[in-house]
Amino acid sequence: MSAILECKSLSKKFTALTALSNVNLTLERGRIIGLLGPNGSGKTTMIKLLNGLLVPTSGSILVDGKLPGPETKKIVSYLPEKTYLPDWMKISDTIEFFQDFYPDFDSKRANEMLERLHLDANRRMKTLSKGTKEKVQLILVMSRNADLYCLDEPIGGVDPAARDYILNTIITNYNENATVLISTHLIADIEKILDEVVFIKDGNITLHASVEDIRSKEGKSVDTLFREVFKC
Amino acid sequence: MLSKLLKHEFKATARLMLPLYLVLCVLTIVDRIALSIEFKGALNVIPVFATFAYGLSIVAIAVVSFVIIVLRFYKNLMTDEGYLMFTLPTKSHQLINSKLLVSFVWNIASILVIILSIFGVMATPDRMDLFRDGYQMFISELKQEFGAFNMSLFLFEFIVLMIVGLINNILIIYVSIAVGQLFNGHKVLGSFAAYIGIGTVIQIVMTVLFITLGVLFNKSFSESSSVPQIIFPITIGFLLLTNVLYYWGTDFIFKRKLNLE
Repeated sequence: MSAILECKSLSKKFTALTALSNVNLTLERGRIIGLLGPNGSGKTTMIKLLNGLLVPTSGSILVDGKLPGPETKKIVSYLPEKTYLPDWMKISDTIEFFQDFYPDFDSKRANEMLERLHLDANRRMKTLSKGTKEKVQLILVMSRNADLYCLDEPIGGVDPAARDYILNTIITNYNENATVLISTHLIADIEKILDEVVFIKDGNITLHASVEDIRSKEGKSVDTLFREVFKC
Repeated sequence: MLSKLLKHEFKATARLMLPLYLVLCVLTIVDRIALSIEFKGALNVIPVFATFAYGLSIVAIAVVSFVIIVLRFYKNLMTDEGYLMFTLPTKSHQLINSKLLVSFVWNIASILVIILSIFGVMATPDRMDLFRDGYQMFISELKQEFGAFNMSLFLFEFIVLMIVGLINNILIIYVSIAVGQLFNGHKVLGSFAAYIGIGTVIQIVMTVLFITLGVLFNKSFSESSSVPQIIFPITIGFLLLTNVLYYWGTDFIFKRKLNLE
């Protein structure tokens, strides 16, 4: 079985800046991985590349050994940092939408989570607050039985109580062979659920290590290490 | 996968079009009744208002049919909703196909609904006879002008031209929006610029093409048979060619140059 994500000398240049330069990175299955870096470090660019929303300038990115396309999109469950659900849809419409397009979508799980968060499936998206919209999106994304969950800033806009619930949802809702890639700069909140971390700075990977190693070798938490590495 | 995209595209657009068709249907009946009753004095304003409202609903359908072409494509694919659509397990050309097909169907449906409703307001036995006579006169004049074979060809090509032309109008909007999103930060402005730019180039090419053909076929252009035999086929061919270019250009940008904000 090939690695779930493999970047080979991956570069992405925009007219004015180089967002990623010569990135080599392999992520294994069954891990929860934090993609950590300050704003503008290339996190979102990397996630967009792996979802086929951008095309590399050079090098390649492979998901399950394949270039991003319909086959990889079937196994990647992606939560962008945008509120991407059409505002005229009811929550129940969005569930039907996911069910139609993703064979791995479990609508029973989605409805259970809606119920637990006291969200009425008949509400329209446009009547929901930004944080509630984010919750709905996260529920949809985590209700898929995907091989790779790719969460871009999943906890930025929601309150701490919902944050805990969401993190709990992430750990309890993915199977053992699935990998969860979480991009964020709110490290302290998610540190306890991470197996591995990838530090990214100015488009370069500066560190890829397991959380255990960081704790035993450096004798500090990921959060502390992050603050040292990315000190302004 | 296309069938699912079509299903959801119809669902997203039917909520706008069907209520408008319903309003037109009701106003057709109201106007028909208002026009058939003899009002006295100040009550005369009733048929005037009914006809005005009726006309307004036709305009609304025409406008919304057009707006659907632009907005569904722009909003659903180029704004935040694009993150949802472009990460579905589909190919980008299927997204274009679903939007194109649904826009096409609504535009044809709107034309049919409007024609039907005009009959609904106007049709009486006398007028239908008049209409039938007019139609027959039109056909016989066409036959006289073109001859039976060329007339059938003319009518067939005319319908093809309408269809290809409608698709052309939709695809030039799509490619303009796709080109527009290459302009970071000025996507809407870029789309308008692209639309005007592409439109101008096409106009120039077409003018040059027909002037050249006019010189080449100098004599036969003055004969009426040149319409179905030369002018229409060339126009259709030209539109088909630009359709292919617009479609290909849109798909190329989606595949290689997509840059959602």
